[in-house]
Amino acid sequence: MRRSVFVAVVVAMVVLGSAALGGKHSALAAQQKTQSVEVKIDNFSFGPAALTVSVGSTVTWTNRDDIPHTVVSADDPKVFKSKVLDTDEKFSFTFTKAGTYAYFCSIHPKMTGKVVVQ
Amino acid sequence: MNQGFLGTQAPFAADVVLLLELAMGAGLLVGAWLARAKRYRQHGWCQSVIVILNLAVITLTMVPSFRTHVLPRIPAKLSKPYFALATAHAALGSTTEVAALYILLAAGTRLLPERLRISRYKPWMRAVLALWWAALFLGFATYARWYVPNLFR
Repeated sequence: MRRSVFVAVVVAMVVLGSAALGGKHSALAAQQKTQSVEVKIDNFSFGPAALTVSVGSTVTWTNRDDIPHTVVSADDPKVFKSKVLDTDEKFSFTFTKAGTYAYFCSIHPKMTGKVVVQ
Repeated sequence: MNQGFLGTQAPFAADVVLLLELAMGAGLLVGAWLARAKRYRQHGWCQSVIVILNLAVITLTMVPSFRTHVLPRIPAKLSKPYFALATAHAALGSTTEVAALYILLAAGTRLLPERLRISRYKPWMRAVLALWWAALFLGFATYARWYVPNLFR
């Protein structure tokens, strides 16, 4: 009886411990995942066009297209605005406040995207 | 965000400029026909209005766009069609506009000194009309390269 209680306690501790460690690990992974996110610009579109990140995350747009593009906030006043990005050039912005940030390419206004910051 | 209306990726202003330029190119041909029909007064007005309107379009829309998007990248990126077409269009277009303004001043006014005036207008006018259409063609190609996906690829 005493032995089975001991085994049950050990099993419970192992299960709880691994769950706690696993949870911590996955939380850390999720945090790392949202720290730096990349958006590719290719064939006149942003990919992914919609993105959800946590506050403090940095989003980097990379122009993989063979023509120049820009990344400009649709808000007024503009929250962020890149220079003209030629092929393989990058633009980064760190989102420090929660909210939904719509953006577009000022050269090709039909190219749009949004970043949801939670 | 001023989206265009021609179904490409162009902004509204670029679509307006494209249609305006095509209309001006056609207008110059009508003006040339007026000269052949010996209606010189209407010919003068037609060509003058188009040359001055084109100067306004160049100054207000093309020069700012060229300064922002192309000038900082040349000559380094001239091997890319995006910049090469725009630069060729800018060079030929500005040369043509200056030549057209010169003919306008020489033929339509007495502002220029005697030695700078032209005595034989026809070859000059025909040459500028040909240059104008070449510049228009390059402008159309520039529009297509800048705003039409999957073209020239």
